[in-house]
Amino acid sequence: MSDEARPSVNSLAPSLLSARRLTRVFRLGQNEIEAVRDVDLDIDEGDFVAIVGPSGSGKSTLLYLLGLIDSPSAGEVRIRGERASHLGRERRAGLRLRWLGFVFQTFNLLQLLTARQNVEIALRLAGVSKKERQQRAESLLQAVGLGQRMRHRPVQLSGGERQRVAIARALANEPDILLADEPTGNLDTQTGGEIVGLLEQLNQAGQTIVMVTHNMAIAGRAKRILHMRDGRLSESAPPD
Amino acid sequence: MINIALRQLGAKKLRTLLTIAGFGVCVNLYIVVTTVMRFITDDLDFQVKRFAGLLLVQSRSEVGMTGIEWPPISSSIPAVEAARVMSLPGVRSEASSPVTFAALAPPPFPTAPPEALLIGIEAGKETAFLGDAPALLGSNRLQGNGRSSAAMDADAGESRPVVLGILAARHFAPSATEMVEVPSPVGPIPLAAVGSTIDIRGHKFQVQGIVEPETNQLLRSCVVVRLSQANTLLGRGDTVNAVLITPQRTSDIDTIQTMVEREFADLMVINDKALAENAGQLLHRITQLFNVVRGTAVAVAALLITIVMFVSVLERTKEIGTLRAIGAPARSVFAMVVAESLLIATFGALMGVPLSRNVIERALGPDAAGIRSPRIEVSAVALLTSFGLVAALLPVARAVRVDPIVALRYE
Repeated sequence: MSDEARPSVNSLAPSLLSARRLTRVFRLGQNEIEAVRDVDLDIDEGDFVAIVGPSGSGKSTLLYLLGLIDSPSAGEVRIRGERASHLGRERRAGLRLRWLGFVFQTFNLLQLLTARQNVEIALRLAGVSKKERQQRAESLLQAVGLGQRMRHRPVQLSGGERQRVAIARALANEPDILLADEPTGNLDTQTGGEIVGLLEQLNQAGQTIVMVTHNMAIAGRAKRILHMRDGRLSESAPPD
Repeated sequence: MINIALRQLGAKKLRTLLTIAGFGVCVNLYIVVTTVMRFITDDLDFQVKRFAGLLLVQSRSEVGMTGIEWPPISSSIPAVEAARVMSLPGVRSEASSPVTFAALAPPPFPTAPPEALLIGIEAGKETAFLGDAPALLGSNRLQGNGRSSAAMDADAGESRPVVLGILAARHFAPSATEMVEVPSPVGPIPLAAVGSTIDIRGHKFQVQGIVEPETNQLLRSCVVVRLSQANTLLGRGDTVNAVLITPQRTSDIDTIQTMVEREFADLMVINDKALAENAGQLLHRITQLFNVVRGTAVAVAALLITIVMFVSVLERTKEIGTLRAIGAPARSVFAMVVAESLLIATFGALMGVPLSRNVIERALGPDAAGIRSPRIEVSAVALLTSFGLVAALLPVARAVRVDPIVALRYE
């Protein structure tokens, strides 16, 4: 990443999410694969960042590192200036629950639960009371356009609807950052466009979003585009 | 998390039902075996107590598996020798009698006395065997009380009285000329009626009464008839199985025992201490066997939970990984899997308890109500559920260790 492209590394106020010298090495037998190499990154409040790159470039690994799901081999991740990547599994789980929201390519909804219960589960884990979580789940599903599908199970929903449920679940605990891994990867072009439109609306409302995609058209709707190639990150100029 | 566990169980209905059924069968097995164990222990204890202070003289050559055969069905003593034993000093002749035993029906389960056990005893001396066992219906004595035993035995050609234990009365109910039903906690029990005629090996006997001792299986299954009539229908000739002796005084016990062993080389004397020792040995063997069965039931129940929960956790690796990825703490995953195991164990136990009651009622009939124990049921449920939960720890540990990264890439 070039120095001029590296945003606010030295600014006084800490970034919402930052990575320094972030590296992730996987060992496969005798071989070592450096999926993420020495990445520096700052994400500020209100950002809508798209990380693009070809398959195997390390973009999903970077997202999981930023989301504290995976642990780096070297370097660190900070949330609001607080070092988070070195914490134990349970502490990191606690940070994910309260600070981060996740949207996955394959939706990852609990098949036995209804749309509303899938959203509620995140609130339940955070210890929200039954009444409040029901109200909040309904309100979130209304907001993503699924007011009429709350009692449907994932198998009764279309791909786009499932991803909307996943977004509602990710937003349940009002996370500081929404991390989306190929959110349109399993959707047709039109539905994918609608989902990105929804993410744009959320960002306009103040939600910070980091999205991984290999689709440049989708990435073009983000405020910032970061390119990942062979584990290294570079930033292109913001789209007009 | 219990909500998710319930849904998971509901989603795999057949597997859940089979697991619950398997666990229930283990609970049932544990309760039944424990109940039968207690039943046998109590019964042997009562038999030993019942014969406290009595002596049983039987032939030395025939011994049972555990040293003493009780009742001594295979023992054989010539009637002349039995009469000599009866005439020994210290023997209270009015409460002592030569006796003949024969199994008329097989035992309801191993180690139990026969369901109908023929006891031939001199008339008027029934109490030597029956003791104070109360009569449920009619009399607890063969007819002709007050007459000499010789005179009553001389009447053998005229009448054939019989006193039945409650189990024997139930055994003969279908073939009796008249039947009566008596209430019991497990429903009405059909019995051969007092005054009715029953057929014992081709000979007609008239029921004088039905005795119902509290628990003694030997007395509950007795078919008490006159000695001479028993020997006739068994074709025994001039032999008896044993001589039941009531000493005149407690201090006579040792004297009689010494005299019998000195004067009758082929006879042995069994007192209540020997019976207790014998019962202890028998109990030890039975307990060992039953403990193996109980241990197997516990092991199978635990293994069942382990396998099913392990498969369930494997199937839900992605789901658990997703929960971990969105921030579920390990304790939530732990609670989810434990709740699922607990539900299986609880439902299994709820099925196993009534099943065991049914099995016990079928196996033991009228005795079932008396020996069923809520304490055994509660302890069985608690023990197997605890083992079920311990068995779930392995799959729980695996679930808690699920790496969200691996799970998210898991298809």
